[in-house]
Amino acid sequence: MNVPVLELLVGGILLGGLYALMAGGLNLIFGVMRVINFAHGEFLAIGALVTVSLVAGAQMPYWAALLIVPAGAALAGLVLQKVVIRRLVDAPLIMSLLATYAVSTVLVNVAILIWGGGYRGLPGILAGSVRVAGVDVSQSRLVAFAVAVGTSLGVWIFLRATRTGRAIRSVAQAPELAIISGISVERVRNITFALGSAMAGLAGVLMAPTFASDAQLGSRFLIKAFAVIIVGGMGSYPGAIAAAMLLGILEVFGGYAFGQVIGSAMLYLVMLAVLLIRPRGLFGAQVRV
Amino acid sequence: MKTLALLLALVALLAVLPFVGSDYALSFTIQILMFTSLAYSWNIIGGYAGYTHFGQVAFFGLGAYVGALLVGAGWHWLAAAAAASLAAIALALVLGSAMLRLKGSFFAIGMYGLARVGENFALGFDGITQGGTGLYLTPTDLTPIYAVLAAIALALIAFTHRLDNARFGLQLLAIREDETAAEALGVRTTRLKITAFMISAAAPGAVGALYASYLAFIDPATAFAPMTELTTIAMVLLGGLGTVLGPLVGAVVLSVVNELLWSRFPELYLGLVGIIILGAVLFMPRGIVNAFAKRRWRWVSAPRAGLRRLADAARPVPAASPARTPAE
Repeated sequence: MNVPVLELLVGGILLGGLYALMAGGLNLIFGVMRVINFAHGEFLAIGALVTVSLVAGAQMPYWAALLIVPAGAALAGLVLQKVVIRRLVDAPLIMSLLATYAVSTVLVNVAILIWGGGYRGLPGILAGSVRVAGVDVSQSRLVAFAVAVGTSLGVWIFLRATRTGRAIRSVAQAPELAIISGISVERVRNITFALGSAMAGLAGVLMAPTFASDAQLGSRFLIKAFAVIIVGGMGSYPGAIAAAMLLGILEVFGGYAFGQVIGSAMLYLVMLAVLLIRPRGLFGAQVRV
Repeated sequence: MKTLALLLALVALLAVLPFVGSDYALSFTIQILMFTSLAYSWNIIGGYAGYTHFGQVAFFGLGAYVGALLVGAGWHWLAAAAAASLAAIALALVLGSAMLRLKGSFFAIGMYGLARVGENFALGFDGITQGGTGLYLTPTDLTPIYAVLAAIALALIAFTHRLDNARFGLQLLAIREDETAAEALGVRTTRLKITAFMISAAAPGAVGALYASYLAFIDPATAFAPMTELTTIAMVLLGGLGTVLGPLVGAVVLSVVNELLWSRFPELYLGLVGIIILGAVLFMPRGIVNAFAKRRWRWVSAPRAGLRRLADAARPVPAASPARTPAE
């Protein structure tokens, strides 16, 4: 059997870029709030569906969606944080989990009401392909990868180099010390939730031209994002980026060898293995947010 | 005594229903009983032991498929349900020894992942499960299924009543409050947790198989529906986590509300259920039973209520999200 290693490798890395963007946002929220946002996937799904409506329906240019959708997602995330999550951050874990799970259900069903249950595509946007490392790659996937990785790295630099970024990291690492140092935890939480949600919305915009989107897209991607942050180490931002690439490649190779369904199930099995053998994640040891 | 009297009244009510009620009443009661069983099972591991279990639907789905496949192979539905229950217990034993080492968010994500893996496998191994098309069974008479479900639900209520007054139940509560301290006091936490996990998996396995017989159909989306998970946990929370009567109250109230919504607004139904659950989490986190107990409605006899209050009082109010170790 002649395995197209290079094609699969490139495909995996391109997929990994999207996972990095989505899981990065989820991980950021978990690191600061200690809340698992089950509704994170719906931000991605609705982001993709809104993009289809804006570009195919309202005839807006694609780059406009790249700006509008993340901004809308940030606003929606802020509302979710202020109305729901803020009241539950200090409650037992089950409360915030159940609440975000319920929000996720509400959003899925609102999306079904608006866009119906079927798949929506965005053909003809960024069509054509480019040759990279001897492999033909479609333009839309290349742009998605570049924007996703660029944004992920940009957020990382933001976390390390700016005053607000350092405040976010300090709240994630030592909330009491952050309060003593005069950091407004409330404000940091708002910023983090908005930023994380915007990243999920952006991932949705980037996916829309390549993958067919539907209202149920969120949960399929959420479990992959969970796998990424478990393997990378919960709360570790660079760990999530590295793990995203690793799992993207693994999924593509697994899908090639065993078929699509088992290929994506493999991600969960890897996640379960990491959970049991090394719960802090492959990169969760020294690396911090 | 009060609980016992209530149980007897329930038995009497359930026994006469098939003879006086309509087909619709029977069908609706089957759903209430199903969710009652799921809620009580969840309450053992989620309410008493305090583990954030987000994968009960994995046992339900496994049971549904084992049951449907065995019935398809010519088994009687009751034998198939018993086998499905055993399969779920076996899965809980194997998984429990590994998964229960995880806590909090990690356990929640691990179990949620398990349910999604189950759905993927049901779709992927379409040679056995017919994939997304689903398995069709010959419809059977609903009355015996109803009787078996009623027996399961009553057994779980009685078990929880015993549990609340037994050493085993107290040990689970100790694990919930502080697992390390419980271990230091000689509670065999690992063994107890795995036992509780197996007990809590038994009924979902059987109920899954009975549900497949009831619908005469099963597909991955029905067997592993996230809505089943959400509704079950919300019922326990709405009634009262770790209480004897809470899951029953929650299951009946939410089932009736769901049914009303479903008949009036079929399109908006699932979204509205989500909003109601969100409201329950935000505005009634202590549950209906606890709200009554606080106002000294004496019909909720809770011998351990004093102990629970002590535990609640002793629990430090966390300052703005304290730092936690990654292993938590």
